[in-house]
Amino acid sequence: MKRMNWLGLGFLAPALLVIALFFLAPVIMTGFFAFTNMSTATGITGGDYMLNKSALRALGDAGLPDATLEKLEDAGYAVDEKGLAALAAQIDQETADEFARLHGGESFATRRDVERALKDLRQNRIRKTRDRKAAAELFKRSVLNERFGTEAEFRAALTAGGIAPRDHDQITAQAYTGWVWTTENVELLFTLPSTWRYAANTAIYVAFTLSFNVGFGLFLAISTFYLPAAQAATFRAIWFLPRILPPVLYVLMWKWFTWDTGFLSTVTGWFGMSPKNWMLDSPTHAWTTIVLINGFVGASMGMILFASAIRAIPASMLHASEVDGANRWQQVRYIILPQLRWPILFTTAYQTLSLLTSFEYILLATDGGPGRATEVWALAAYHTALNNYGGNLQYGLGAAFALVLVIIGILASLFYLRLFNFRQLVGKPLIEG
Amino acid sequence: MQLDLIGFTKRFDGTPVVSGMDLSVASGEMIALLGPSGCGKSTTLFAICGIHRIDEGRLMFGERDVSGLPSQRRNVGVVFQNYALYPHMSVFDNIAFPLKVQKADKDQIRRRVGEMAELVHIETLLDRRPAQLSGGQQQRVALARALVRNPDVLLLDEPLANLDAKLRLEMRSEIRRIQQETGLTAILVTHDQVEAMSMCDRIALMNNGRIVQIDGPTRMYRDPMDKFVASFLGNPPISFVTPEDLPCFGAPKACAEIGLRPEHVGPQFGTGLTGEVRFVETQGREDLFDIALPSGRMIRSVQPAGSGLRPGQTVDWGYDAAELLCFDRQEVRL
Repeated sequence: MKRMNWLGLGFLAPALLVIALFFLAPVIMTGFFAFTNMSTATGITGGDYMLNKSALRALGDAGLPDATLEKLEDAGYAVDEKGLAALAAQIDQETADEFARLHGGESFATRRDVERALKDLRQNRIRKTRDRKAAAELFKRSVLNERFGTEAEFRAALTAGGIAPRDHDQITAQAYTGWVWTTENVELLFTLPSTWRYAANTAIYVAFTLSFNVGFGLFLAISTFYLPAAQAATFRAIWFLPRILPPVLYVLMWKWFTWDTGFLSTVTGWFGMSPKNWMLDSPTHAWTTIVLINGFVGASMGMILFASAIRAIPASMLHASEVDGANRWQQVRYIILPQLRWPILFTTAYQTLSLLTSFEYILLATDGGPGRATEVWALAAYHTALNNYGGNLQYGLGAAFALVLVIIGILASLFYLRLFNFRQLVGKPLIEG
Repeated sequence: MQLDLIGFTKRFDGTPVVSGMDLSVASGEMIALLGPSGCGKSTTLFAICGIHRIDEGRLMFGERDVSGLPSQRRNVGVVFQNYALYPHMSVFDNIAFPLKVQKADKDQIRRRVGEMAELVHIETLLDRRPAQLSGGQQQRVALARALVRNPDVLLLDEPLANLDAKLRLEMRSEIRRIQQETGLTAILVTHDQVEAMSMCDRIALMNNGRIVQIDGPTRMYRDPMDKFVASFLGNPPISFVTPEDLPCFGAPKACAEIGLRPEHVGPQFGTGLTGEVRFVETQGREDLFDIALPSGRMIRSVQPAGSGLRPGQTVDWGYDAAELLCFDRQEVRL
């Protein structure tokens, strides 16, 4: 490479670093997480080996014989150091010492045998049945509910418990508490009915919000175009307010507006209607509110873009259309709108992408409610991965949700790039011949 | 259709741009609004087509008072300086637009657009977009669109300003031909005197928001009403000297300045004007001389090429006394 190129690369380095860190890395991590079963339970580092009741059930479902399961659960009773120490702590040192003298190193098949041995202690007999039972339990040896740091230790315990070696692999895999690679998330996405629901919600959200954004933005741009300059500027400034307002405040105002003690309820109360939460009382109302909340913010951007595009139309062209006999409506329909084709297309393209991934206003307003009626894809990803009601944050599944958005986003961007490049080709100015 | 503009005044932010202008254009006549930049000629045109409101005065198309009508209802055809073609429509749709917004039926539109295309010679270009046309072709499309509705008046705003010299010459005669074929009343706004003189029946020369003189091209050139008209028309322009510079010429007492057109100065008019050749501009067919008189004032002369004169030489030329123009202190022609 030439020296000039290195120099350029040097200047670009900070930008490249930022891109790699904040744009590329999250995408790669998303793709990576999507194919794991990471969650709060597994953690994101390695894990231990431990069998619990539910793991046992799963093994049973997977076809492990009942005898093996029983062995896993109950490997008999052993008088060992560990049990004696526990006994000393629970009863006293003398009892433990005597028990060790008499039965140290022995194994018992059932608890009853242990209880009998405890009952038969000469000096420190445990008199109460309940205490004996509790004490006997201290010597129970089982692979169940015991945490092993390494696979080797766990396998050793299995061997000690008398589990047939051919079952070891299956049990070890089930006992692992860390994350593993899996395609389960993707399968889940396609099979869960709720996923399709979220997809449909997203389609509704994007379609309605976009239509409102572009339609209302166009309406504002065109109507302010025909207003005197000062009035138009005031109007545009007012419509721009939602965009510069902090989202939390803006949504809070909507909440005040729709609460059962809020503006709408108060006004409708004058006409005898009982107060209700106008935002969350039905899915239709929830959707209406969400589209309006997003729409008013989005429309301001369309308005600014379209207004400047209209002002870029040569005045003589508008004059010509008037002289040619076009009324206002015909002027808008035949002259202004066709010239706004590319700005409209651009706004639509741009906002489709940003709406697909945006959920902050929904999160603040309905949080996906009522029920899951307004839960869109991006919000579902957030809820699954980062704010799960159950408390088990499913990073893996959440990442799989996000990965779908990433893929759609990349495909759409490529498509749009081609589309807008095409525009340059068509719009190439011809030199006067 | 006869057009009458009576007492027309237009103000922008309270400042009058055109004040109390009267203009009458006979039916089928083509008149030029000629003048320097900012004289109000375009303002007048825009007021006639209804883009600017008429602040005072009346505008009559024949017996019809259109002063208060919006441009949509005035039935004028306008060719704008930049043609203002609709870039997203084909040539056909551009020409058809005035009929389309009138909701004319399809057959009528097709027939009428065909006629117009034939009139302006663009039959083969109807499927193209304006961006695919040359300047001259765009000009023709703009003309066809202005004419398609059979307007009462045709207005042309600097129609040739964006064309190169050769095309300009061609379109000059084309526009005149089309105007004469259609028999339309037309107003041409231009700052180019050659355009005005070559294309129009009459010229209305404007200055500072007023019409200074309305006359036929020849009359206005030979018989200007004041110094402004004399100096505006003519290329190369007229030279001004004082009576002292022409002692042999018996100037009237009130005469403060004398105008000499370049073609009226030269050896063919005898002697009496002595000066030094300062500058010779060769124009092929003829040469243009700048001659410094003893008083220091400069006069111009056009002579057939090949005189062999060089800067620094002294000449003793004459002038055509019959063509001298005398002006008083108020710059009014005597």
